[in-house]
Amino acid sequence: MNCERIEELLSAYIEGELSAAEKSLVETHLRACRDCTLLYSAITDTRAALSGFPELEISETLKSRLSAIPERKRRFRFSLDFLLKPSLQPVFAAATVFLTLLSFYLFNPDKKYIDRSIDQKIHQGYNQVEKLYAQTGSLTDRLGDYKDSILGSIKNWKIFGGKKDEPKQQEE
Amino acid sequence: MDLNEVIKQCLEGKEGAWQMLVNTYSKRVFNLAYHFAGSYQEAEDLTQDIFLKLYHSLSKYDFEKNFTAWLLTLAKNHLIDTYRRTKWEKTNRDNFNENFLASESAESPEADLVREADRKIVWEGLDRLSSDTRLAVIFRDIQDKTYEEIAEIMGVPVGTIKSRVSRGRLELAKILQAKKEGSDEL
Repeated sequence: MNCERIEELLSAYIEGELSAAEKSLVETHLRACRDCTLLYSAITDTRAALSGFPELEISETLKSRLSAIPERKRRFRFSLDFLLKPSLQPVFAAATVFLTLLSFYLFNPDKKYIDRSIDQKIHQGYNQVEKLYAQTGSLTDRLGDYKDSILGSIKNWKIFGGKKDEPKQQEE
Repeated sequence: MDLNEVIKQCLEGKEGAWQMLVNTYSKRVFNLAYHFAGSYQEAEDLTQDIFLKLYHSLSKYDFEKNFTAWLLTLAKNHLIDTYRRTKWEKTNRDNFNENFLASESAESPEADLVREADRKIVWEGLDRLSSDTRLAVIFRDIQDKTYEEIAEIMGVPVGTIKSRVSRGRLELAKILQAKKEGSDEL
């Protein structure tokens, strides 16, 4: 049996898990091979070292952190409970629609064209508002003119001491 | 109190039940995490994460199964996942003497010194093992579990565990040999 095969069997040999035939083969090999004997000794030392690692106590800080897990989870759940109120459902629905539309706009491959058309629409709207404002200004002027002429004709009425009926009197 | 009863009370949110689980298992989980990660601080964080997972998964526990094995499987999965994500093999383990005080023994002071030196080399050598092999060695040679228990925790056949333990011991033994030969030459 070669050293490689013995290496594979050493662990089981140490734990007494080999058959009588395999055990005898390993022992015969160990008596003849110094390297494998040293390796055997190193494995037993390794096992002794591993079994000698003491079990550590956990710190009080960790213990209190672990104990507080249910309480922390409960508090977190309470703090988020307001999100489940039915009254907030329309707000969430509106926000969802808004965010969906926003995502359509932000991730649209033709975003540049959309931006340009929005810009054009805004300018058109602005121009229309300006026109309307100008029309409103001329309307105000015209209303002023109408007001002056109406006031002038009213002042000319006889009842207000005007001369509107004078031609009739001359005829009499 | 029966363990299944404690778990049921935990699920009902009864005070004291969770504390009982923490008292029973925290030390075991912490030591597993510490031997695996090699850092005290890291082991504390890992233990907390594992107990958080336990708290969330408790409702999925099958009462027919062995709770200890189920919890250790949960711990094992978390340790391996975190190991793969963060690649701890590149980090150093804590200084051996920092947390492991020399244990008293009936041997001579010289023999104690040799044993202490071996422990230090093996402790540092654990970092060189793959995560699966390291866990198998920890369960078998540090926590003294049977191959069947380890196979149940790791979810692989007993034969696979035996070969992992054997491979791990061989690797550690060769590291120990190499270090000893190196120090003898000096």
